[in-house]
Amino acid sequence: MEIIKIAGVALITCIAALLVKQIKPEIAIFVSICGGIVILFLCVNYLTEILGVFNFVVEKTGLNAKLFNLILKIIGVGYITEFSANICNDSGQSSLSDKILLAGKIIIFSMSIPIIKTIIEIIAGLLP
Amino acid sequence: MGVDIIIKIAAVGILTAVVGQILKHTGKDEIAMLTTLAGLVVALMMVLDMISSLFETVKTMFNL
Repeated sequence: MEIIKIAGVALITCIAALLVKQIKPEIAIFVSICGGIVILFLCVNYLTEILGVFNFVVEKTGLNAKLFNLILKIIGVGYITEFSANICNDSGQSSLSDKILLAGKIIIFSMSIPIIKTIIEIIAGLLP
Repeated sequence: MGVDIIIKIAAVGILTAVVGQILKHTGKDEIAMLTTLAGLVVALMMVLDMISSLFETVKTMFNL
């Protein structure tokens, strides 16, 4: 029944943001940011369970833990980029949000170079 | 960690606006501008420590 609480928080945030937007537009952005953060904190403990299951699977199947950590890092970076890009979009700075998305893509690509190297090594190993 | 932080920030915004209007009408325009800035800074402080705790959680969870 967590989803009902999340929906409630989202509704209250929308109403508060709309209310404050007419009176003081700068604070409206703060209200929507805080609403987003509260919603995220509500579903953090689900995420930790999922990550625990993934860790368990990685250990059991003997996968390369370094790769899994890298994937987790990439997910984290992707999430923060998307979070800040959406905030910039909300506040009307669409060009800024595109720049943040571009920067996020570049960072993620630079982080995933070791994975590409491993894949190429595996493929090279398979070839006769 | 609930709805209270959202309503607190909205309240700070509305309060600054009201105080600013009152001061403006009584003729003290500079003080009105200062109170608006002060209200903005207070709200920004509240949002900042929310954002820092979010980034801390993301950092620990995805071991960035």
